[in-house]
Amino acid sequence: MAEFSDDIFFASIMELNQKLKARAFSSVDLTRAFSRRLIQLGPRYNALAISLEETALKQARDVDGDLKRDRFTGPLQGVPFGAKDLLSVAYKPTTWGARPYADQRFDFDATVLKKLDRAGATLVAKLAMVELAGAGGYQSAAASLTGPGLNPWDITRWAGGSSSGSAAAVAAGLLPFAIGSETWGSILTPCAYCGVTGLRPTYGLVSRYGAMAVSWSLDKIGPIGRSAEDCGRVLHAISGGDSSDPASAGKSFYYTPQFARKLTDLRVGFAPSDIAERAEPAARPAFQAAMEVIRATGVRMTEVELPDLPYAAVISTIISAEGSAAFEPLIESGKVDQLADQKQIAGLRAGLEIPAKDYLRAMRIRSIVRDELKKFFVNVDLLVSPSQFGVAPKITEPLDFLPPSQPPKRRGLAGLGAAGNLAGLPALSIPCGFADGLPVGLQIVGRAFTENTLLALGVEYQSRTDWHRRRPKV
Amino acid sequence: MSAMVQRDITRRDWVAAIALAAAPAPAQTPDQATVISEARSEIRQDAEVLKKFPLPLAVEPATIFRP
Repeated sequence: MAEFSDDIFFASIMELNQKLKARAFSSVDLTRAFSRRLIQLGPRYNALAISLEETALKQARDVDGDLKRDRFTGPLQGVPFGAKDLLSVAYKPTTWGARPYADQRFDFDATVLKKLDRAGATLVAKLAMVELAGAGGYQSAAASLTGPGLNPWDITRWAGGSSSGSAAAVAAGLLPFAIGSETWGSILTPCAYCGVTGLRPTYGLVSRYGAMAVSWSLDKIGPIGRSAEDCGRVLHAISGGDSSDPASAGKSFYYTPQFARKLTDLRVGFAPSDIAERAEPAARPAFQAAMEVIRATGVRMTEVELPDLPYAAVISTIISAEGSAAFEPLIESGKVDQLADQKQIAGLRAGLEIPAKDYLRAMRIRSIVRDELKKFFVNVDLLVSPSQFGVAPKITEPLDFLPPSQPPKRRGLAGLGAAGNLAGLPALSIPCGFADGLPVGLQIVGRAFTENTLLALGVEYQSRTDWHRRRPKV
Repeated sequence: MSAMVQRDITRRDWVAAIALAAAPAPAQTPDQATVISEARSEIRQDAEVLKKFPLPLAVEPATIFRP
């Protein structure tokens, strides 16, 4: 078997694909190397849910056959990846990160995984996640069948959630890319904490068929990778209409950096108070430096403030009602008590008690949120703000603890996470520096279906910085 | 979505299921009762916030149904 250096384990999708086409190594060797590395090191971060090495090697052999005949299918051909364990792989365990589902198996593959298979990518493993993707809320980093997701930059810290394993595996060079999901923060948060790049697509752009439902009207599936460009290439492969997903937008996405809008034409909204008042003090220098790089790209920066709407209350009500309804059989059977996190158990039970009028009121206000954000985006093309305002917390800290602080004087972009998810908008999280030795990330949010614009700014930012190339000691 | 693949129920599973059905439900510990009370309280707080938000009659829920 070929020997691989760290440069290969931390290489981009394009770099790996070029080497595969040049026959520097085979897909079988590459897939086996990543698989063994994930099996050996994944447990250090509680990142691995289940290895799929055998089927991955079968896929890799098929890919090698195609490469030998110069049958090229695209940049993902022969590249190994992992999938958050809420995505179904036929006849293999799909645990949803939760003890009650430890033996669950489906007889079909999720659409996203079928598309990646057609693109020639090799599925090496299912990756760890917060149990039920945190549908009922959770208080502890240990809210998972596989234990707390540990951060490759500091294993006393949380990897973030709920796509913990996906972000940790990419950060530690155990996989070139992974598939995660977001209902409210579950791609952006672990990417910020682990120093990797993640893309939450527009709602409906990527099929949810075969993915566990947390909240039918909020769930998005998206890539986590080493760069904005890598995320663009993965999104190109996994997006598109799917009649099996009732929420499918029926739209495709083609990663076309050559046709992206000129950055000097873009108006980018930001809020100084996000950094000056909301961010943790140790993280402020990194965020301020990142904003200077954004400014230096030539975009037109403009100070903005989100409309004053109750984003958090709306999204919490919707997730509680939809999440509890999705897991009603689990709750009614009593098996909900097998979950690891008491707050999640309580949240799921309590969510079943939400009256229809409260859920519908939240969904009506959501219509206003959607319409107000459409109007808001007439005056800006993108918004930029910290993905999280600080670094990853210690795994021993309760996750819902908020230290006492002065309320910020200005609203700024507070609530952007909730607002963006409620309106179904895309967001890109890019690493933008370090605070106390731990990564911090910036989010770029845009109008629906403008992923190429987000990626253009992300790619330009990453051409001027090297935060996305930093490697933790593994 | 297709049905789950069910594995065969073993004799051990069957015995365990019978035993579980016969066992009394565990009493809620004070901690569990507190946690669920807190969860209900959070939901109520969100509902109060939303109740105060002025909502024009014409605004419909952000749900779409197509026949």
